[in-house]
Amino acid sequence: MAETLILLVIALPWLGALCVWLTGDRRPRLQHALAVVFSAAAGAVSLALFTVTGSATAVHLPFGPAFGTLTFVPDGLGVTLAAIAAVVGAVAVLFSVDYMHGDRQLGRYYFMVLLFIGAMIGLVLSGNLFFTFLFWEITALCSYGLISFYNDDPRAVRGGIKALIITQVGGLGLLAGALIGYVHLGTYQINELLAQADRIPAGALAAMAFGFLIAAAAKSAQFPFHTWLPDAMEAPTPVSALIHAATMVNAGVYLLARFHPAFADVPGWSTAVMLTGLVSALIAALMALTAMDLKRALAYSTVSQLGYMVYAIGAGAVFASQFHLLSHAVFKALLFLGAGAVLHAAGTRDMRQMGGLGTQMPFVRAVFVIGALALAGVPILNGFWSKELVLEAGLAHTPSWAYALMLAGAGLTAFYTFRMTWLVFFGKRRAGGHAHDAGPAMKVSLGLLSAGTFVSWLAAGALNRLFAGSLPLHHIEQAALAEILIEIVSAPATGLALLVIALGFGLFWWYGRARALAEGPAWYRRLSEASFGLEPVNAAVVRGVRAAAEALRVTQTGALNWNVLGILSALLALLLILGWSA
Amino acid sequence: MTEVNVILLGAIGLLGVGLYGLLITRNLIKLVIVLQILVKAVILALVLAGRAGGNPGLGSSTAATVIVADTIVAVVGLALAVQVRKRLGTLDVSHITSLKG
Repeated sequence: MAETLILLVIALPWLGALCVWLTGDRRPRLQHALAVVFSAAAGAVSLALFTVTGSATAVHLPFGPAFGTLTFVPDGLGVTLAAIAAVVGAVAVLFSVDYMHGDRQLGRYYFMVLLFIGAMIGLVLSGNLFFTFLFWEITALCSYGLISFYNDDPRAVRGGIKALIITQVGGLGLLAGALIGYVHLGTYQINELLAQADRIPAGALAAMAFGFLIAAAAKSAQFPFHTWLPDAMEAPTPVSALIHAATMVNAGVYLLARFHPAFADVPGWSTAVMLTGLVSALIAALMALTAMDLKRALAYSTVSQLGYMVYAIGAGAVFASQFHLLSHAVFKALLFLGAGAVLHAAGTRDMRQMGGLGTQMPFVRAVFVIGALALAGVPILNGFWSKELVLEAGLAHTPSWAYALMLAGAGLTAFYTFRMTWLVFFGKRRAGGHAHDAGPAMKVSLGLLSAGTFVSWLAAGALNRLFAGSLPLHHIEQAALAEILIEIVSAPATGLALLVIALGFGLFWWYGRARALAEGPAWYRRLSEASFGLEPVNAAVVRGVRAAAEALRVTQTGALNWNVLGILSALLALLLILGWSA
Repeated sequence: MTEVNVILLGAIGLLGVGLYGLLITRNLIKLVIVLQILVKAVILALVLAGRAGGNPGLGSSTAATVIVADTIVAVVGLALAVQVRKRLGTLDVSHITSLKG
């Protein structure tokens, strides 16, 4: 049963990808229908997976001695993230029916979207680190293809290549870590690696731990690799929702959560994770304060919220981080799709040319405000519960200055969230033209997500039980829903956080509202556009890789004899090395 | 010098001729012939391995399979050569660089 469901939930999106692609771009209606059907089916199967969870390996597919057995483990962590990927992915696909209406290359679009969803599900369910790496790389490839989807726009192509190169840096960290584990324990099975991590020498374990941290930071757009995510905004908006909420950036947080039991005792690792999250959360929030591009502002808020999750893992609160991941996936997908509806109607991403759109698109305004309140952490929406849980863990397990900074981040979040909502939907209309409200498919997907924003926190108790039951190595404290909620409400941290959030809102209302269009001082804007000095560093990495590629171009002569010479010399070198070592 | 060594030398010799040919040949038809020589070395090695490993049947049947595959390679290769000549007017591989990066 478990085996069938797991294979189905990965195979369905991939089969759908093939079907849509083979349908051909001359039958767009069939393509839309196929994509929706297959992704919805995958979403349904992913929810059915909750009935077969357990820490035991459910699927064994032998892949020969070199790579070990491809296994899938339906434990709480994997199944939860797979469900997020499949369900939020399905909603994004449904939204695409309206958003991508009339596009001529739907085959390419849906192929990559569905491949992306399937790869993400495989990544989180795989019990074999080598195959986790393969799925990891497939998601990187899909994100590249989708960010550059409008491939006649040079900015889109640049953004895609940047995302690919930066996440590859992380991929190398993951591969190195996996190989270190294999060298010392002779296995790629994640559960064996976790159980026997103490048999790896301290130095090697530290290298593995920090390799994985680099991988996670690059994938989840954390400091110092956070610059690729805002540049990825050239993608079609449903893809942004997919990358930010359902797939891709969750992979990094997942990796840290998965390997937390093995690395928690590595000296300095927890602190490094905590600091990575802290710095990302703060500087992204600061950059969001002055962003004028609606999608960029949302992208900064993603980096910031992912920072909260990474910070929670640094504090040892794996459950809190994954709970926030769930909340974030729902409300951020809602915000992005809402933003997509706005862009579709207004034809621009520049918030200076919006304003007062609320009267023309009341439905979108309503759902966007719900998402914004959840992002700001206003009760009783899902963002409130999970953010409080993260902050509470921070108060208990991290230095008080770190907690204070994260608290300040929550205030900043409230400030920029209200600023964004105000600039788009309220005030005076700053540009002419009529903006139409969302189409039917858009309304259905937005409605589903806003309902999710109200209720997803009710799953906290069940999720907690699932995590505690199926992740023995993570030592997660079990608590019922009521206990968790009472704990959050009664904690002193909560009152403080609400105060700071109210302060952020008040600051915006009394001080920022009038100056929202003024963009702040020039030096501040320049600084935030350069990602506080890190943009040049990231850009230099991208330039370096591209220059190396250009330099290596001369080796691609296309002459057969030259290629044969290359193959022969490689063979000779290999034989020499083997002879040398024998 | 035992029988096995002689055959082994023969196989290595054929392999050397084939690889050398691949390196220096620029004519497409000659390339197909060179590939044939390479595969003949492989077939010889397979038969030899079957015999040396005490399982001559397995070696021979694998060799027969390779012969079939090899024939297909030759046929397709020659057909490609004809098409290349028709469309590009040359058989010199150093002139066929339209896939150059």
